[in-house]
Amino acid sequence: MLVTWHYRSRKSFMERFDPRARWIFSLAFLFSVTMFWDARFLVFFFAIAFAWYFSAKTKWKETRKGWYLISFILFMMIVVNTLITGGGAGGVVPEGGHLVWPAGQFLFGRHFTFGLTWERLWFAICQVMRISGISAIFLIIPYTMDPRQYGVTFRGLGLPDNFAYSMELAFRYVPTLARDFTTTFDAQRARGYEIERVKGNFMQQIVRVAPLIVPVTMNSILSGEDITNAMDLRCFGQRPRTWLYKLTYHWQDYALIGFGVAMLVMGIVCRYVFHIGGFWVPTWFIH
Amino acid sequence: MKKKLWQFGTRQVVYSALGAALYAILSLITNWIQLPSAGNVSFRPAVVIPMFFGVVFGPIVGFISGFLGNIISDLLAGYGLWFWWDIGNGLMGLIPGLIFLWMTNYKALKDILWAELFSFIGIVVGMGLAAFSEMWVSGADIKTVVFANFLPAAIPNAINGLILLPILMIAYAAIVQRSGK
Repeated sequence: MLVTWHYRSRKSFMERFDPRARWIFSLAFLFSVTMFWDARFLVFFFAIAFAWYFSAKTKWKETRKGWYLISFILFMMIVVNTLITGGGAGGVVPEGGHLVWPAGQFLFGRHFTFGLTWERLWFAICQVMRISGISAIFLIIPYTMDPRQYGVTFRGLGLPDNFAYSMELAFRYVPTLARDFTTTFDAQRARGYEIERVKGNFMQQIVRVAPLIVPVTMNSILSGEDITNAMDLRCFGQRPRTWLYKLTYHWQDYALIGFGVAMLVMGIVCRYVFHIGGFWVPTWFIH
Repeated sequence: MKKKLWQFGTRQVVYSALGAALYAILSLITNWIQLPSAGNVSFRPAVVIPMFFGVVFGPIVGFISGFLGNIISDLLAGYGLWFWWDIGNGLMGLIPGLIFLWMTNYKALKDILWAELFSFIGIVVGMGLAAFSEMWVSGADIKTVVFANFLPAAIPNAINGLILLPILMIAYAAIVQRSGK
């Protein structure tokens, strides 16, 4: 089994920033954008998100799988729930409103009435901007962040040494466990096991996966004992650890963090001091 | 050695990493098997890993196995990062881990039933938190969240987890007996 990370160095604008600064900015963006339902503010966040996304210089064929998933979620949430069934407005859109087809529509010789309002349609546009903005910010992370730096990044963000090291170790285990899985899979196939022909009802299918899951899990637990002993012998956890990769903030990182924090503070001030940024529909859209 | 519920020493660091890597790899492998009549939900027997690691190694190991394993799995699959779903997966491991101290014999019916009960609670709480976070993030209403997010995620996870957990616990009991660890 071949396991590949999606990261490769692209010498992009985004990669000039320290991973810690990028995490702080991404989280500040998430908390800021979720305060707003006003399209005038959401356009600003949408523009920021996609400017950030395109600064990573990824190609469509690299990220399309993620966008297909996001499109499916958007379709389910907006077309099916907000527009067709009339749900999905989460108490944001006031009751009532202006019907898009007040007189109903004739379809296949029958008269149908739809509850879809202009307000709900506008809400759907706001949802698209908000969800795709958040998705663009977070979808790009695996393509632009070196997996070897996750541990030191989260340590730098204040997580305890042990947790950060656990993260580092997990990334290193992935290729090893993928290889172990291949060995187990081949061994089971030599005994006549065929995952491609997992048949029967749902329960039987689950039980038939057990000959793969059980040996891989038990082998890794046994090997874990040896690793624990080896780490204990090297006095793991007795003193703060050092990291192979060192991260240093530069002026552009402070600028990015400052921008993220300013965005969050401005968001809080707008929403909770001036009470602006709630759901708003332009009058030209209704009439 | 006396077991402590919230201990996070060398052993827990190693098993958290192993659990996360296992969850990621096994999820990736079974991603191609789709559930009938639920287009976007993949058949994920690997959800048992955080529950099992929680029961056997404690709540912190269970949480990291689920949280980090889901992150790595999504990174490998190219799905990006879904922070609230990662937390939900972490809770699926943390809550079964709360009975870690009660576990004395992993193949005893009583211990298996306790593990199943807490795993079920973990699934409901974890997937509930992840699904209901969509109300905050996406502005979805409760009906949408329950039918489009919570049920399609929680039901397959419960079926997968509750069937495979006893199998892993019995296999682990045999290893403990044989190795004496």
